[in-house]
Amino acid sequence: MDFDFSDDQEQLRDACAKWVEKGYSFERRRATVAAGGFDRKAYNEMAELGLTGLYVPEDLGGMGMGPVEGMVTLQELGRGIVIEPLTQALIAGAVLAGYAPDAVKADWCGKVASGEALVVLAHTERGLRYRTDSCKASATQNGESWALTGDKNVVPVGDQADAFLVPAMANGKMAMFLVERSAKGVSANGYGTQDGGRAAEVSLKDAPATLVTLDGQTALEHAIDIGIAATCAEAVGVMDQTLAITVDYMNTRKQFGVVISSFQALRHRVADMKMQLELARSMSYYASLKLNAPTNERRAAMARAKVQLGNSMRLVAKDAVQLHGGIGVTDEYIVSHYFKKLTQMEIAFGDTMHHLGEVSSRMQDTAGVFA
Amino acid sequence: MDLAFTPEEQAFREEIRAWVKGNLPEDLSHKVHNALRLTRDDMQRWAKILGKKGWLGHGWAKEFGGPGWTAVQKHLFEEECALAGAPRVVPFGPVMVAPVIMAFGNKEQQERFLPGIASGEVWWSQGYSEPGSGSDLASVKCKAEREGDHFIVNGQKTWTTLGQYGEWIFCLVRTSTEGKPQTGISFLLIDMKTPGVTVRPIKLLDGECEVNEVWFDNVKVPANNLIGEENKGWTYAKHLLSHERTNIADVNRAKRELERLKRLAKTEGVWDDARFRDQIALLEVDIVALEMLVLRVLSAEKSGKNSLDIAGLLKIKGSEIQQRYSELMMLAAGPFAMPFIEEAMEAGWQGNYPGGVTANAPLASTFFNMRKTTIYGGSNEVQRNIVAQTVLG
Repeated sequence: MDFDFSDDQEQLRDACAKWVEKGYSFERRRATVAAGGFDRKAYNEMAELGLTGLYVPEDLGGMGMGPVEGMVTLQELGRGIVIEPLTQALIAGAVLAGYAPDAVKADWCGKVASGEALVVLAHTERGLRYRTDSCKASATQNGESWALTGDKNVVPVGDQADAFLVPAMANGKMAMFLVERSAKGVSANGYGTQDGGRAAEVSLKDAPATLVTLDGQTALEHAIDIGIAATCAEAVGVMDQTLAITVDYMNTRKQFGVVISSFQALRHRVADMKMQLELARSMSYYASLKLNAPTNERRAAMARAKVQLGNSMRLVAKDAVQLHGGIGVTDEYIVSHYFKKLTQMEIAFGDTMHHLGEVSSRMQDTAGVFA
Repeated sequence: MDLAFTPEEQAFREEIRAWVKGNLPEDLSHKVHNALRLTRDDMQRWAKILGKKGWLGHGWAKEFGGPGWTAVQKHLFEEECALAGAPRVVPFGPVMVAPVIMAFGNKEQQERFLPGIASGEVWWSQGYSEPGSGSDLASVKCKAEREGDHFIVNGQKTWTTLGQYGEWIFCLVRTSTEGKPQTGISFLLIDMKTPGVTVRPIKLLDGECEVNEVWFDNVKVPANNLIGEENKGWTYAKHLLSHERTNIADVNRAKRELERLKRLAKTEGVWDDARFRDQIALLEVDIVALEMLVLRVLSAEKSGKNSLDIAGLLKIKGSEIQQRYSELMMLAAGPFAMPFIEEAMEAGWQGNYPGGVTANAPLASTFFNMRKTTIYGGSNEVQRNIVAQTVLG
């Protein structure tokens, strides 16, 4: 039992923090949002730091790192509410390296790691909610090749990604495929998302696809769990910064002749924010340290973590705006952008109510040994 | 980073588990697992078993006869005791006054008081709160005036937990009214059998007398019962409060009570009610998060890195969890938590509890009793002030 970071992990943190501070200003982010919510150049800068290849093994061209390094990285990106979805690179790298046939790995892992290929998870479908055992998209096999038909919704930067990881039904069972956006029969209609980022509706009509694995459910659940752990870590960074911004403001803003941080009613809300932040940080550690656990244990842990993080994000986001007063609801002031980021992250990879249901249905008789 | 305990820590846990299994009397664990009434003798019996093994003062350093365990070992010991259903160690002696005597008492005081605490022979009480001094502890008025080689103590203490059993009491007394209120307080040990000491139990909303009022009427206390220097008592008390920081969260007991809640929910048929079960799930998440918070503190203590000043958070969250599990247990029983039959809270009661399940008998009582947790030890509102201070300055 040890929650200290290694020197290498601290160095990674410093490198990420430095990039966010020096390279990812709020003005740059604002311009990206105005331009549609994704900046490939910023994504490539993260790739140059090696971040897109964190979960790709070294012999496939990546960094071969683990969940703690992923956590350290996402926390720092969260601080700057970086909009380009590094989480998608972590998912793609790990899923391809973990489930794809060797030839597919050889083709794609290096490109994911280098940033040359942006591969995103395209699993959301209207009507499925958060199901992971089946979907409507279907796959047909013709000799060695596969073709996919179906619609995937709210696909992260779907109109600018190079390829998609797509779950689809093959012979009554869900499999996972890789589909290139440039392939025949693929169309993607992009739009902005509530946090200023970007997503797309992706339509597949007999689109040529590469099989990643016939056990699509296992791969999808693993992908989602990587997403949950990453989102938890990112959320901690976002909340850390949200609280810092709020504290700065409260120690500057005067009303009734004194700084508003002197009012006990407001101070107690800050104490509650700090509580939620530290519980969230604790559960983000928990999620990352359980990400390589056996499947059932891992799934239960991610659900628990996402419940805590969801509750924490909601409270921290709402209180931050409230404590700012009027300025908190303006577009001009930075805190509203943190609020929106937190709001969207609570929904990402399953919202709090969904995961509470997961915790509920997975509960054991005993408290067990949690750690 | 690693969530797992080291092989050495695991082995230590196994050793403790085996010892507790072999030495915790079954009638005691039965009472604890079912929230039945514990007598003075029950608590004392377990204290003496631990004392004989040298583990009553399990947080003590070796030089004072303790096992010299690390923070993690202490945590594992407490966890194994809690999960096995051991009665909670009454903390006033071994956990609260002993560290102060070790840190600030003289050699004679250490030799005189520590053995009785370590063995569990002497029952200690805490004399802090007064009718006018709750959260504002620095305002204590109970007065000790020096007369030759004695102090004469006059005043009143209150909320003295289990003070009706107390043989000795450590008190914050006012020895000066000069300067700031904090600088006129002394730390005095008082033999409760001294003439002029009167103890009156206070009946609480659960019908129990867990706390007491203690009066001092011209009580003559030898000056060599003063710990450290006169007027420095506030510093010593603060040292005491900073001690055993993770203890206050009581996460180990929460884990045991969560198991009990699940048993009750199944018996009462609400385990399959999604609305009810989600509430248990939410509590489970809270408990895991609290445990992770506790483990982070322990890890920081172990390595000296990333130190966390979050005692206030542990107190707030731990106390809220205690209230919540007691509330959910009561709600699980629903109408069968209404009958309040005092005898049914005793072990071995042979009567018929309405609804037929005696396990429901103490639920309301425990729920009532737990109101205290967000009030004592510095109310949760005071804790929020402390937390806000660390964040906002």
